[in-house]
Amino acid sequence: MALSPREVLARMLLMRRFEEMVITLARAHKLGRQHLAIGNEALGAAALMQLRAGDLIYTTHRNHGHMIARGVDPGKALAEILGRAGGLNGGKGGTWHMTDPSLGFQSTSAMVGGSIGLSVGGAFALKHKKTDNVAVALFGDGALDEGIAYEALNIASLYALPVLFLCENNSKEGEAQTSRLATKELTAVPKALKIACASVDGGDPEAAGKAVATALAHVRDGNGPYFLEAQLVRWPGSHQTVHAFTTGVTDVTAAWDSAKASNVHAEWQRTDPILRTARTLIARGTVTREDVVALDNAAAVTMAKARGFAEASPYPKPEAALAGVFV
Amino acid sequence: MSQKSFTVAMIDALAHSLKNDPNVVVIGAHSFLSDRGLKPEDERALWDAFPDRLIDPPTSEGVCTSLATGAAMAGMRPFLNYGTATFAYEAFNQIMSETANVHAMSGGQLRAPLTLHMFAGIRGGGAGQHSSSPQAMYANSAGLELVLPASPADAQGLLRSAIKSDNPTVVITHTKLLAMTGDVPDGDFTIPFGQARIAREGRDVTIVATSLMVREALKAAEALAKDGVEAEVVDPRTIVPLDAETICASVRKTGRLVTVDEGNALCSISSEISALVAERAFDALKAPILRVARPPVPIAFSPPLEAHVTPNADKVVAAVKKLTQA
Ligand SMILES: Cc1ncc(C[n+]2csc(CCOP(=O)(O)OP(=O)(O)O)c2C)c(N)n1
Ligand SMILES: [Mg+2]
Repeated sequence: MALSPREVLARMLLMRRFEEMVITLARAHKLGRQHLAIGNEALGAAALMQLRAGDLIYTTHRNHGHMIARGVDPGKALAEILGRAGGLNGGKGGTWHMTDPSLGFQSTSAMVGGSIGLSVGGAFALKHKKTDNVAVALFGDGALDEGIAYEALNIASLYALPVLFLCENNSKEGEAQTSRLATKELTAVPKALKIACASVDGGDPEAAGKAVATALAHVRDGNGPYFLEAQLVRWPGSHQTVHAFTTGVTDVTAAWDSAKASNVHAEWQRTDPILRTARTLIARGTVTREDVVALDNAAAVTMAKARGFAEASPYPKPEAALAGVFV
Repeated sequence: MSQKSFTVAMIDALAHSLKNDPNVVVIGAHSFLSDRGLKPEDERALWDAFPDRLIDPPTSEGVCTSLATGAAMAGMRPFLNYGTATFAYEAFNQIMSETANVHAMSGGQLRAPLTLHMFAGIRGGGAGQHSSSPQAMYANSAGLELVLPASPADAQGLLRSAIKSDNPTVVITHTKLLAMTGDVPDGDFTIPFGQARIAREGRDVTIVATSLMVREALKAAEALAKDGVEAEVVDPRTIVPLDAETICASVRKTGRLVTVDEGNALCSISSEISALVAERAFDALKAPILRVARPPVPIAFSPPLEAHVTPNADKVVAAVKKLTQA
């Protein structure tokens, strides 16, 4: 089941406009810190759009993109980030812990390495129940610093568990280094544990989509775990505690209009997965410039509605803090 | 004396330790030193002065604890900073089974002089995984000293003592105290463990509070004074060892006790202090002991939910009034 490039671009645009709305709302409502997925859209859309009902997903502090890529209601997601009663978790989770079990989300842990550990439990259950569903662990390169990563990879390989380890590697040496591994080759670790693995350009939705399809087929067919490293670009704003629109609100026409070129962020404009994908699809004749603008406008309309829903949603009653600890 | 922020006071204690003892190393230096109120040139000077002793490790709390403990046992004096306290849960086995047992389990032959530091507490939007107040768990370890500084001067003096201590010492800093400023003695100094501080004298009720809750207790005392209730605020400063004498002497004077602790009330520091007073000064009590602490729930993200379960001055006032008006 190959993905439609147009639908993938549309989803990527929604992911981008979602995060930009988060920045806007964070300012307006004086929110604390969020970890945004700007720059991760191509891999996120290509991977999450291929999952089926019954697949189990485990994600991290940087979960917004995964939520939107999988098709979570952006209004409920924004409401959660605002701590409102209408949010996905009723305001109990916030930006770091959004979850939607109806779409397979089992856990969003802000503990580095949390997702990779729980995912093998999900895979263990899926194998026990003899389904062809898979568990998907999304995690950053930093998770490989933690001992749990080694233990999880080992047991997944040992028991041939149906789990896709999907590593979003956004580390850049120096300032933006989020892992400190003695090897530059992330796949060396799973390889040593006899796990099938590959690396892919996570900024290219087609390449990423194919790599994920191969990985999912391997896991669904009962061949045990698969480790896919997606090499991501790093958005220049991503290390800031309170996000500014470092690179400006995305202007899709910058994909073709040289008058929109930025001197400061030329490298970002070259590698931004949104602009890059738009350029590729236009050059190939898959979409027109007008199509791109129309898809972007549709994303903006969806986000305006989502904002309306989120801001209209009330805060939960204070006493709700004491409820719901046990089933 | 000079005015300093809590974080700068702690960094000064660290700088004195680094200068005075070549065996001191800082593991997890970045989140302790950067963006913590130092002038940029002062921060740069520190990194330049100790390039091999300020270390930024991988996100590997487990092995960092083993590394620090092993190095301490082999003659070094490490200071390990975890960042947010919950990250240390990754190292619970190492802390509880290895570090805490080194000295006693070897029949006194070995020692592990290291400091384990973490930023804790309900901090605003931390949700379930970034809001812990884990002090009682460490107090329960048997083998770890436990320090809860509540002012810049105490932070500097107690941290200096922690690093000099030949025992493993856990230091927990509340994130909401980081920006607090106060008078700090000049130069290098220590504050001994096991000596409570009377933060405010009073005759009607004893409020024993720790960490950020000292500040809330003092606010409560101000409010109560307006109604003619004089509260004595006692800050134990270290829980292991605990200055039982000062706490009991205060209760003998006032006849009433409220304990204030941000940790979960169940099996907490406030429970321990309540039990201590019940055992040793029951005859002096004119009213039941009350605990102001967080209820046993994971902290929710949403601001009104978080506020509902956070102990504060108003809740302390309400507890004291219950006792004095009874
Ligand atoms: C157990 C634990 N230790 C430390 C942290 C602090 N922390 C938050 S994000 C982060 C970097 C994570 O890097 P990576 O996993 O690559 O994800 P990225 O943010 O780069 O997407 C760290 C160390 C944490 N959340 N959990
Ligand atoms: Mg990373």
